Amino acid sequence: MEFGPVWRAMMRNKGGYFLIAVQIAVTMAVMVNAFAIMQERSFKMGRPSGLDEANTFALVSVGFKPEMDSKALISEDLDLLRNTPGVINAVATNSYPLRQGGWSEGLHREPGVGKSVSSSAIYFVDEHGLETFGLNLIDGRNFSPEQVSWDKDSPDPWPATVIITQALGEDLYPDHEGSYVGKTFWFDDDNPANIVGVVERLQAPWPSWTGVERSMLVPLRRESNDVRYVVRTEPGYRDQLMLQVEESLANSSKDRIIRQVATVDEARKLAYLGDAAMIKILTFVISLLTAITGLGIVGLASFSVARRTRQIGIRRALGATRPAIVRYFMLENFLVSSIGIVSGAVLAVGLNMFMVQAFSLTPLAWYVVPVAMIILWIVGQVAVAGPARKASGISPAIATRSI
Amino acid sequence: MFRYYLKLGMLSIRANPVLSTLMIAAIAVGIGACMTIVTVRHVMSGNPMEHKNDQLYHVQVDNWNPDDPYEDPDKPPEQLTYMDAKALHDAGRAFRQTTSFKTARVVQPEGDDARPFQQESRATTADFFPMFDVPFQYGSGWDRSSDVTEERVVVLARELNEKLFGGEDSVGRTLTLNDESYRVTGVIDTWTPVPKVYDLNNNPYEEPEQLYLPFSVAVAGGFDNTGNTSCWKPIEEGSGRDGFLASECIWIQMWVELQNATAKQDYLNFLDAYVEEQKLIGRFPRPMNNRLHNPAEWMEDREVVEEDVDVLLGLAVLFLVVCLLNTIGLLLAKAMRRAKDTSLRRALGASKAELFKQHVFEAGMIGVVGGVLGIGTTWAGLRGIENLYIEYEFVQHLVRMDWSMVLLAIVLAIVSALAAALYPTWRTCNITPASHLRLQ
Amino acid sequence: MLNMKNVSKVYRTDTVETHALREFSLTVEEGEFVSVTGPSGSGKTTFLNIAGLLEDLTSGTYELDGRDVSQLNDKERSRVRNEKIGFIFQSFNLIPELNIFDNVDVPLRYRGFDAPERKRRIEESIEMVGLGSRMSHLPAQLSGGQQQRVAIARALAGEPRFLLADEPTGNLDSQMADSVLDLLTEINTAGTTIIMVTHELGLVDRARRNIFVRDGRVSDGVPELHLADLAAG
Repeated sequence: MEFGPVWRAMMRNKGGYFLIAVQIAVTMAVMVNAFAIMQERSFKMGRPSGLDEANTFALVSVGFKPEMDSKALISEDLDLLRNTPGVINAVATNSYPLRQGGWSEGLHREPGVGKSVSSSAIYFVDEHGLETFGLNLIDGRNFSPEQVSWDKDSPDPWPATVIITQALGEDLYPDHEGSYVGKTFWFDDDNPANIVGVVERLQAPWPSWTGVERSMLVPLRRESNDVRYVVRTEPGYRDQLMLQVEESLANSSKDRIIRQVATVDEARKLAYLGDAAMIKILTFVISLLTAITGLGIVGLASFSVARRTRQIGIRRALGATRPAIVRYFMLENFLVSSIGIVSGAVLAVGLNMFMVQAFSLTPLAWYVVPVAMIILWIVGQVAVAGPARKASGISPAIATRSI
Repeated sequence: MFRYYLKLGMLSIRANPVLSTLMIAAIAVGIGACMTIVTVRHVMSGNPMEHKNDQLYHVQVDNWNPDDPYEDPDKPPEQLTYMDAKALHDAGRAFRQTTSFKTARVVQPEGDDARPFQQESRATTADFFPMFDVPFQYGSGWDRSSDVTEERVVVLARELNEKLFGGEDSVGRTLTLNDESYRVTGVIDTWTPVPKVYDLNNNPYEEPEQLYLPFSVAVAGGFDNTGNTSCWKPIEEGSGRDGFLASECIWIQMWVELQNATAKQDYLNFLDAYVEEQKLIGRFPRPMNNRLHNPAEWMEDREVVEEDVDVLLGLAVLFLVVCLLNTIGLLLAKAMRRAKDTSLRRALGASKAELFKQHVFEAGMIGVVGGVLGIGTTWAGLRGIENLYIEYEFVQHLVRMDWSMVLLAIVLAIVSALAAALYPTWRTCNITPASHLRLQ
Repeated sequence: MLNMKNVSKVYRTDTVETHALREFSLTVEEGEFVSVTGPSGSGKTTFLNIAGLLEDLTSGTYELDGRDVSQLNDKERSRVRNEKIGFIFQSFNLIPELNIFDNVDVPLRYRGFDAPERKRRIEESIEMVGLGSRMSHLPAQLSGGQQQRVAIARALAGEPRFLLADEPTGNLDSQMADSVLDLLTEINTAGTTIIMVTHELGLVDRARRNIFVRDGRVSDGVPELHLADLAAG
């Protein structure tokens, strides 16, 4: 419609419009990058750990008598746990995904100390580990009971068989096609490990580690006063069994305490607390920022209407309809917004490139910028609607008054 | 004129209530967003050992894999092996020195119905307490001789002492840990160094341990290290605990106190000599890479400030920029609305300088009000952060506003308001006298 | 008192040059009451703005009270306006948020008088225009004539050497206009020089001398001629 006149009128009073445009541009840059961070975080939080998370809990038994038969105690505990009705299976291990603390090892493709080619989280389990964790074995087989050995705190030597994740296989043997079963790697100079099985997925205990998908099961029961049990239950029995198991373990021996009784859900919440908080903070920032920019538009548009009261009256007297006045202000806002939004898109991409470099953020998804553009266009139009309607209500009679 | 400008500022703020409220709100919100993050960052990057920053040094030597540095670019490991920690400590070449690691003990309180519980503990040496200026409520740390004789002594934190001994002076009393008896030598008063500078390896913001016992006792007793252990060379097969202590695995933090630059240089020379000596027996295959970091350098090196905080700080600054652009726009609107008043004052003899002062003063007033409200929004922002991270016990240490932050909030608000006022004021001052006074 | 010689004022935009005043010369003696008349666009307003130091002149000289004021900087000009010139406008131009007392106070503040001195002058000048009982009223609570009296009080409070009045009765009915003009005459009689720009014939009679401006110059025509012109305009 009256694009030309609106544009020329704006160019005669650049200051105010320029400010709004810059404000929209910066808002856009913040919005887009906050979106990008939120998206990355929610992707990170959405990754499955590989466990049967909803039906699994863990606890720690700490024996405190210097001379304890921990081997016997662990065997009794496992018998008790596995025979509890409602328990699918249980295992003594060192850690589990999302726990944020665990054991990792550098791995070698050749014997000898040299530089390691990959690294992996280590879960010490027996032949019940696969079922307790609820893992999907996609190749090879589970450990046989004979392959599981007893040892002190640290393996000496390392067991000769392991089950690895698909992701670890890909990292260890990047050029290998086909099955990883039967292949060998080395923990130290003379500790070979033979891959007997591959699971689809089992995360390492540290969700923020870049190698989070690389982990392995090692068939070892550790004879230690500190032992962690992971228990998987039938659906719906977890909370009830958690209390019951804690009680019965605590009663079975006075020489130990039971600690860190927690569901995997709780561990997940704690592990991603920072990411969840970041998403909430950024959502808040974006909303507030959009609101402030919107209010700024309302403020300046109201002022602009007030300043042009007489002009609007004259236009009305000359035959402009109410919708025409509304359209004038909407169009004016659309033009200003567009300038801001387009320069904002450039700014946003620039800022994102910087953040990718400085904070190793993943680059923007293609649709984030257009979505933000549409949102800001809508915000602008909504914000200007009020003042524009007010402008259309100005009486044409104003034109004949002297002041 | 000061009071006159004050009066004019009040009148102007009252004459444009909506515009003024929007401006003050924009500044308060912008300041709140900025100061919330600035406060958290300020605390995170604080140095609890600032007063001894040129005396305390974290010790690093490079015993790592010849083919693979511990950390790029060519950084030495952040902890020491037992062999090195023991040798360097026992050499006693610094004014004070301490080696320590994190462990856990099961506390067995007296009384039949009292249940045993596990307690995060620190195995350390006598010098730890004077080095880090640990304040004592009762008694003191143990003597250096207890380190040598492996005496079972223990220092409790105030909270644990309250739990075990009802807050009484428990010096000399006996405490049972894992079925072994320890003698209490001191109770630490409230002490929360943020970050926990003496051990930044895990969570730098967690509370200090509640229980301290001699390093020598912990090593002899084979207490578990609950901090990090990293190894590059396999431990000799079948060698058990002794093999671990003789291995190249790193797990001990070491600090020394050196009273001046000469002492620091002497200590570096000592470290060089030590490493040369070890090289002769086939250890330390990497080039010489010994380091002494003071607390500030060490926190910088360990990057204790979370990356997220820096991202948020950047966004918060942009947020403030948007709020200021908003304020500039609103001030401009207000200035134009007042063009008539301005042009009249010019006609009546006000110089540009006087009008400039009047408007800057008014902007300053808006800044002050925005800043005071900004303290409120900052407080609210910090409570928000606290709630989001409520599961992290340490968060309460990060969301405290001190006077310097309050002052910074107000100064930032005033500076922001003045910066925002520059362009509108410049426009105002250039209004020609009487230009708006005739009929329009 | 006021001496303009060959004053020119040219407004330039990118494309147009407008000569608002051309070689304008005028002398006003101490104690005079001069009216300035002329058709729309003749340069009356420009003359007023230059005389009141509200605008720069392009060329020529302007002496006020024996001092060349054409080359002063902003601060000095503001000072001269503040001390020597009083303004009265057609639309009164009182500040709506300030009461009568504070409105009169505005120029005195910039003058730098101390508080008792300001109070004395404000009260005196408001008494003089007969509004002593209304000092704490806001402008909107007064009639047009009363507002213009406040404006006059404001102009006089600093005891200026001369008053510049721009259509002082333009917004007033005839009865109020008369009383305002009586007041101006009284002030003139007391010694203040007055220059009044107007296009109302009734006002011209009040002045002792009339200047007719046309095409940016003082026109030397006889009064009958300009009366005819005005009637035509």
